[in-house]
Amino acid sequence: MRIKGFDKHYYLMLLPGYLWLIVFSIVPMFGIVIAFQYFNPGKGVFHSDWAGLEHFRYMFVLKDTRQVFFNTLLIAVLKIIAHLIIPLIFALMLNELRQIVLKRWIQTIVYLPHFLSWVILGGIMLDLFSYNGPVNQLGALLGFSPTLFFAKAELFPWLVVGSDVWKEFGFNTIIYLAALTGINPALYEASGMDGASRWRSLWHITLPGIRTTAVLLTVLSLGNVLNAGFDQIFNLYNPLVYSTGDIIDTWVYRTGLLNLQYELATAVGVLKSLIGFILISISYYLAYRLINYRIF
Amino acid sequence: MKHTFKAAWIFSISAVLVLSACSGSEPTAESTAKETQTQNTEPADPYGRYEEPMTINIGMQVDPTDKDLPSGDTPLDNQYTRQIEEALNIKVEHAFTASAANMRQKISLAIASNDLPDALVVNAVELRQMVAAGQLADLTQVYERYASPEIKDIIEKTDGAALKSVTFDGKMYAIPGVQADADGIHIMWIRQDWLDKLGLEPPRTMEELENVARAFVEQDPDGNGISDTIGISGPQSGDGKMYANFLESKNNLFGFDAIFSAYGAYPGYWLDDGNGNPVYGSTLPETKEALSGLRDLYAKGLIDPEMAVREASDEPIINGKSGMFFAPWWMGYGPLTNAVKNNPKANWQAYALPLDADEAFRPHTATPSTEFVVVRKDYEHPEIPMKMLNNLFKNEMENTFDPSKGGPGFYPLRVVFAPSDEIEFTNKAIKEVLAGTKTKEDYAGDRSYKLLSSDLENITKIKQEPYDDWSIDTWTPDADWGAWTRAYSIMVGGNPLVETEMDRVNSMIYEQTPLMESRWVNLKKMEDEMFLKIVMGVAPIESFDQFVEDWKRQGGEQITREVAEALQQ
Repeated sequence: MRIKGFDKHYYLMLLPGYLWLIVFSIVPMFGIVIAFQYFNPGKGVFHSDWAGLEHFRYMFVLKDTRQVFFNTLLIAVLKIIAHLIIPLIFALMLNELRQIVLKRWIQTIVYLPHFLSWVILGGIMLDLFSYNGPVNQLGALLGFSPTLFFAKAELFPWLVVGSDVWKEFGFNTIIYLAALTGINPALYEASGMDGASRWRSLWHITLPGIRTTAVLLTVLSLGNVLNAGFDQIFNLYNPLVYSTGDIIDTWVYRTGLLNLQYELATAVGVLKSLIGFILISISYYLAYRLINYRIF
Repeated sequence: MKHTFKAAWIFSISAVLVLSACSGSEPTAESTAKETQTQNTEPADPYGRYEEPMTINIGMQVDPTDKDLPSGDTPLDNQYTRQIEEALNIKVEHAFTASAANMRQKISLAIASNDLPDALVVNAVELRQMVAAGQLADLTQVYERYASPEIKDIIEKTDGAALKSVTFDGKMYAIPGVQADADGIHIMWIRQDWLDKLGLEPPRTMEELENVARAFVEQDPDGNGISDTIGISGPQSGDGKMYANFLESKNNLFGFDAIFSAYGAYPGYWLDDGNGNPVYGSTLPETKEALSGLRDLYAKGLIDPEMAVREASDEPIINGKSGMFFAPWWMGYGPLTNAVKNNPKANWQAYALPLDADEAFRPHTATPSTEFVVVRKDYEHPEIPMKMLNNLFKNEMENTFDPSKGGPGFYPLRVVFAPSDEIEFTNKAIKEVLAGTKTKEDYAGDRSYKLLSSDLENITKIKQEPYDDWSIDTWTPDADWGAWTRAYSIMVGGNPLVETEMDRVNSMIYEQTPLMESRWVNLKKMEDEMFLKIVMGVAPIESFDQFVEDWKRQGGEQITREVAEALQQ
């Protein structure tokens, strides 16, 4: 604004992001054609025979596909809700804490699991909930008979959501805390003068103050609604929990990469992208209508 | 991490498929010219050294946790690669490497993107896919002209099974590895010292098996005062299987193959229905019965309660917490080396048990070839991989390599060539030599048993008298762990194979049929999931009947017809 060439730096900083997007997201879109072909790697995308919608038809015949889409949606929606609410509550609680040192400590500790990969955390989770693991030992003290948690299909989605929230809520908390510091302290002083209780100022100042951040985070996460977390589930699941734990990405991985059914896997991937696109459009529209917020 | 995953999975695999499709897809017309060029059928020197230095780019499986290589050596520069360069003037380069867990997807991507290394080792499903895609060189002439007599001998002694598995439309598209029959026979490994301590005999029937397992769980066989022992180990999560199947017909560790066959059940195998028609073993009433038996054992806590969820089933075996498991003969190479290092008194012995209702041991058998060396079409020197295999076999015969400086897995493009009776033959030979009825020299002529001479030489280092007792206290593994691993496997794991009369049950087919390429994955998933649920008590045993119906309806019936047709040909 002030200097004429200043914007260039911004565009330069955008460049790596755009390159990444083009290489990994735009160019590969072309691969969608595989879903409509009898794909022969020897002939390549350009010379394989066309199959029309056959793979899509087969996909809808399979019981698996419906199950997998349902699992993905359920796990992802639960995750989005939990990731919205829990860090928000936690950030508000931290914000009320007057002991700065204690606050910093807590903030750092809950933030730590974010840096561990699911390969490691998956192993830790499986050990924690194993037959002779700490959770079952604790249960034994309370008189419960040992349970194999990760073999129970009805528990699996909750374990997945729970462990994901535990891993990530520290990170989201920091974003909310940043938004909280952006609220003008004069507002609190003024409400104090007017005799507002802490609950009142929470309701009338704090929450409206971070509303945009909350909506922004939710809208952005809706774009991921069909990504229920490949690396997490891949490291935790087993055939016993396929019925509730198998998601689109793990299914596509097994079908396409391990079992060489490229066309079917791509067809499912395409459908996933399509649904994802519709959901993003809806959430964008809602954000605009409800709070007049536009990302673009 | 998270971002790369996102990118890869949002657009699923299509990403890689396209990127490389732009660079790949050569016109197919060139290949015909190449074929006429190799019409020369003169036998060539299988060990001939190239005058000009040659380079071959291969895809190779490398275990990142393998610390066997001496310091300074790498998977690209070690005793094997140096020997290859010296003897053949071939320089090996890596097009890609991957750990065992990632190798299959790496190969899958290479196929899909039509960007193959010059040569690599693949499995049967991948081979089929690559042939269908027209990506492979015709190796018929190469095999005729270059294969060494010993390797030809081994391949041709499989009654045509090895050659059949690589021949499509009359052309050979791969060099088949040949593994010993013993790899496909799953026997019972049991803690003899626990049995002795509790005054028990090796269980012969399913009933006795249950009693022994119960004693192992309840009577504190390891004597630590805590009830923490497992009766029967089960498959691990991820790659664990309850039984081998017609596509992966051998080397199933910690499954229940022997228990299934004690019920006369052969799930995962294509059986003769009595009239010469194929029927899929998993859908038969015997399998239901066996599942019900396993379900009972599991419910009583006699099978590892953490089966299918446990990440590594060998762990409780190594730590002395498990009393019994089912696996092939080579468990010295499996968990037992570490188990004995942990507890030198852990007396693991093997038996061809339990027996079925007719008092017989009827194991299922494997196809000899499950690994194949393939060469990329248009590679200028398709004979190089064959010569490397010749060279490996020759040097194994001559004992050139020292396995303690990096195991044979570091040999590029290695596949096993073993005579079908290698284990049984070696077992008997060692016994003869120990008994003094024959000497090492008597076996000097058996060149295709490539490790026999070193086996016979090493045995007295690690095995002490009495020579008719194979308990762990008659061995001295500390003298040479490498030799002990092999000898203990061959003797203790080989004894049941030599001493037991076995009625072997074959699968009628060991390959995929065309429809299986698209439908098998989902049928198999349904089967794996349902059977695990039945055994672990999550689904009622009656759901087996529903499974059979679903299986037939969702393509199983059509596939059965296809298998019948394939057998007619």
